[in-house]
Amino acid sequence: MTGPRTISKRKNLRPVAHFTIPTWILLAFTILIPFFYGIYISFQNINLASFLPPNFVGFDNYRTALAAPETWSTLRITLLITFFGLLFQIPLGIFLALALHENLRGTKMFRSILITPMLLTPVAVGLTYRFMFDTDLGVINWFLNILGIEKVNWLGSQTSALFAVIIVDSWQSVPFVMLLVLAALTAISPSLYEAARVDGANSSQIFRRLTLPLITPTLLVITMIKIMDFLKLFDTLFILTRGGPGNSTTTLGLWAYKTGFIFLELSRAAALGVLIALITMPVYLLWRKASRGVR
Amino acid sequence: MKIKKILSYTLLLSASFISIFPLFWTVSTSIKDRIDTYTLPPKFFNFTPTAKNYISLFSLDTFWGIYLNSIIITVGSTLLSLIFGSLAAYAFARKPRFRGRGALDGLMIAVRALPGIVLLLPIYKLSSYLGMYDSKIALILIYAGFNIPFAIWLLMSFFEQIPIEVEESARVDGASSYRMFSQIILPLAAPGLVATGIFVSLLSWNEFLIPVIMAGENAKPLPVLVASFISNRTLDWGPMAAAATVALIPIVVLTVVIQRWLVAGLSSGAVKE
Repeated sequence: MTGPRTISKRKNLRPVAHFTIPTWILLAFTILIPFFYGIYISFQNINLASFLPPNFVGFDNYRTALAAPETWSTLRITLLITFFGLLFQIPLGIFLALALHENLRGTKMFRSILITPMLLTPVAVGLTYRFMFDTDLGVINWFLNILGIEKVNWLGSQTSALFAVIIVDSWQSVPFVMLLVLAALTAISPSLYEAARVDGANSSQIFRRLTLPLITPTLLVITMIKIMDFLKLFDTLFILTRGGPGNSTTTLGLWAYKTGFIFLELSRAAALGVLIALITMPVYLLWRKASRGVR
Repeated sequence: MKIKKILSYTLLLSASFISIFPLFWTVSTSIKDRIDTYTLPPKFFNFTPTAKNYISLFSLDTFWGIYLNSIIITVGSTLLSLIFGSLAAYAFARKPRFRGRGALDGLMIAVRALPGIVLLLPIYKLSSYLGMYDSKIALILIYAGFNIPFAIWLLMSFFEQIPIEVEESARVDGASSYRMFSQIILPLAAPGLVATGIFVSLLSWNEFLIPVIMAGENAKPLPVLVASFISNRTLDWGPMAAAATVALIPIVVLTVVIQRWLVAGLSSGAVKE
């Protein structure tokens, strides 16, 4: 089946583009219209507690948002969580992927166990960790005590609450990093390693000079996806700390939620939503660019 | 070489322990008596199991309704994602270029990239206009809209594995696009449909942000119930752990079923165009 016959037959296939119409309709109602409606209401003054008809207020909500210290402090917290989260999750994911890539006995079983956390209901995970992080009765402090470390008020103080959030997110996200790195490692041709060994390179040289450059495109993609996921972070935060103590673990996304559904300032929240979308945009574009190199 | 092996095993074993322990701890707390829960050193195995926490959870008036809501919403949105998604994925797999392909790709990636809250604030407002707040139908539609990109990406890889020759011979017999899709392609892609269905239902089962905003008493699913234990004044870890366990068990079961496709599902949309 080669040559012009196949090509002409392929041309004969009826277009199937209209098969996408149901998806278009669904996404129009759940994504497209809400997105533009969100921009629309961000220029109004809708308050969920008020019965007055909304007015157009121009850029007022944006001005308020940019002037409010909470916007900047929650943005700072989002960036802190993102930075330390990446710092922790990417190396850990690489190490685990390397260990799995050794193809030792039981690798399949280890892989199955290691990806379990990313499948579990984040709300239930948050609840479990809340119990484990309990200052007096939590199993984590009990264990630290055995190691001679004093009680940590995990969820009650600002810095440790931030780390608690990062720990729980890492528990669920490291497997994702691990899986993508493992896929990239598997794609490297074994002949490259053999050649390097013949040239007398040792393990750490092979990793730095050969493996690392080859998985860098994947690492970039992971970094972009993880940044977007940190901007999305909600469930774990909501259960673990509710953004507290104070606002010390409130991310920009959680702040938008609080503005809309606790302070009932829907339009102001929508303006924050538009700002979040604007922050996501460059990451999104970099992700697309980076993922073209991976395939 | 030997050191490398030992290091790898140490890392894998300790990571496996850390991955499993919280799950073990939830289940074990759920079958412990209050006295055994509130004690130090923690009791790992040396306690008498009790069904108390489950009995008090199941005797909540609202529990079974909420459990049923979770099942209805999960099944409904999964079916919708599969039906709409398989049609679209087929088009994507067979016609690399068609009008609107680029826009649809962009839209799907935007769903993956945008924080849900950005869309849910306006959706909340719209739904209160349309009288769709706290409606299971609305939840099914929103879940499906948020999850369909994953379904499409995953199904696409299954459809691409079906050789085009199969279609060509059917085409010679004069089958229409729809007949060919429903009678030839879908049966061939059945394992893919099952795997995708299970994967999308996991996403729906775990979803929290959509229902916490869009569901009241009528449509509330399980994660919202689990979360509501936190706001109670009395922190009673036993029933809480029981609720968490009830949410987690179906996942563990389903995960075992789709073990083979899990890796593809979990990384879908991450690196593919």
